[in-house]
Amino acid sequence: MLLVTLLCSCSKSEPLYQEQIFALGSLVEISLWGVDPALAAQASARLTEDFNRIHTTWHAWEPSALTRINEHLTRAAAFSVDAELIPLLTRARALSLASGGLFNPGIGKLLALWGFQSDERPNGPPPDAPAIAALVARHPGMADLHIDGTTLRSANPALQLDFGAIGQGYAVDIAIEHLRRLGIHNALVNASGDIRVIGKHGKRPWRIGIRDPRGPGILASIEMQGDESIVTSGDYERYFKYKGKRYSHILDPRSGYPVNGAASVTVLHDNAIVADAASTALLVAGANEWQGVARALGVKHVMRIAANGTVQMTPLLAQRLHFEAAPAPKVELVAPL
Amino acid sequence: MTTRITGADAVVIALALILLPYLYLTYWGGAATQGEQARILRGGQQIALVSLHEHRHLSIAGVLGPSLLEIKDGKIRFIDSPCRNKQCVHSGWVSLGGEFAACLPNRISVQVVGREPRFDSINF
Amino acid sequence: MPIFLQTTREDQLIAWLTALAITIHIAESALPSPLPGIKPGLANVITVAVLLRYGWRMAAWVSLLRVLVGSLLLGTFLSPTFILSLAGAVCSLVTLGAAYAISNRLPGRGLGALGYSVLAAMAHMAGQFWSAYLLFIPHPGLLHLLPVLMTAAVMFGLVSGMIANTMLMRMPGDGRNLPP
Repeated sequence: MLLVTLLCSCSKSEPLYQEQIFALGSLVEISLWGVDPALAAQASARLTEDFNRIHTTWHAWEPSALTRINEHLTRAAAFSVDAELIPLLTRARALSLASGGLFNPGIGKLLALWGFQSDERPNGPPPDAPAIAALVARHPGMADLHIDGTTLRSANPALQLDFGAIGQGYAVDIAIEHLRRLGIHNALVNASGDIRVIGKHGKRPWRIGIRDPRGPGILASIEMQGDESIVTSGDYERYFKYKGKRYSHILDPRSGYPVNGAASVTVLHDNAIVADAASTALLVAGANEWQGVARALGVKHVMRIAANGTVQMTPLLAQRLHFEAAPAPKVELVAPL
Repeated sequence: MTTRITGADAVVIALALILLPYLYLTYWGGAATQGEQARILRGGQQIALVSLHEHRHLSIAGVLGPSLLEIKDGKIRFIDSPCRNKQCVHSGWVSLGGEFAACLPNRISVQVVGREPRFDSINF
Repeated sequence: MPIFLQTTREDQLIAWLTALAITIHIAESALPSPLPGIKPGLANVITVAVLLRYGWRMAAWVSLLRVLVGSLLLGTFLSPTFILSLAGAVCSLVTLGAAYAISNRLPGRGLGALGYSVLAAMAHMAGQFWSAYLLFIPHPGLLHLLPVLMTAAVMFGLVSGMIANTMLMRMPGDGRNLPP
């Protein structure tokens, strides 16, 4: 009898609501636990609206509030913007400066030059070195952006904003906040792999699988505790190939070229926007500097996988992560941050 | 004579008790559960639930045209689609519970459903 | 001259035991089970008791008769359930035969009811599981059940072993004196 009950409990239907929403130019999965269907439908509609609004507002190349801002930034005069745009601008600025400019949403011109400001970058040659060097020499960065209330001013006409690196994280944080306001306290939101959870999956924690950067399988898993976000940036996400070489869409603002050191960086943090910015910055950072950058950003749970497959992890994350792949990779524990 | 546990009995029982954890490790451990079925969605709405245990080809109409899917040996993948970059095709096979493949321009996505999904979501 | 068959006391006992085994078999069929046809194998109590008192051949008779007659009475003859029962019984008997032969060569008392029961139960479950897997449901998902089923088998084996022990205290004789 015990045997039968044990097995039957696996197939009992659970109050889990799952949906995939096409938004933010990609797929967003939402999972809500213990929510009645009417509220779930309401939440789904709310989130779809949120994602669509964020997508339209911050689109880097189709006409949007952001493209209008970018146009103003080429001129020295101050201009005012809607109040609702200020939080992301302020947050992005703070994170960029804290990361020492390794996360830099001001390199829109460079991204456009590489062709990454379009839905699909065709496989063709990369831009030539002088063009890249010219843009890098102008050092556009968030320090050039002055924010005073709802007034913005740029000190550098080369500054062009593109929030592709933290857009998903920003959206996920807003989604979670709105779910909370609706009275939902057990949820999971996944926008293109950027995940944030609140509460639990019923009696057990939300379980996340982390994809292997170099293969199709799952490298490791983690049980989320309470309100947490996990974001991974990798050189495998968006890229184009030319003559056998792969060019990732994550650029190192210092050189103007795609990252070429780590295969992926995974960051666990309280919220998605910081995790997103940090994973990008740490992917750009070299093997010797990433720990300093992580400390400056206040993230303590980091896993960095080098191109050759070696895994470096902070002790706090090592306690939480469970390797699924057999054999488990060699892990180098770095000093705690 | 046969009313008590003999030494040999104890050996048998000990061996049996060692075998059990081994069985759990072998058949329960490992990565996300092998997918049994796949949900096929158009624009986020489920339009079909197919078994991954048959070898077949499926043509699913999306906003741009038909996407062609192949199911074989517990795996599913896009083999053709009317999108420009064919990202969906390049992403290859998916087979583990929770994994999905999608042709975004065509609004067709596929999600693998494991019998006992070990992961609620995949981070990548 | 009229021929009359005289049944010995032992024949009667064996007939009685077989009937008991069949009854248990039928009663078991009423129990729900995670997979159709897979049963705990409590009838193994009889098989083991007979093995220890009357030797392997007699145990084989009782066991196979149980499966056959039981399935006829239940109307499951030649059905998948029957095949699973048969596979379980055969596996169990083969294992018991091997164990019996080894046990008789060991110094000391060899295996008792408990040891035989656990072996029989595990072999019975294994036989049922693999025939289910190979013949009926070659799903990789089925393997997920194996550890749980084998755990149940060990538990039931221990229980039937203890019951068999109790039964044997009440049965005459000591099976180790019999020819195989």
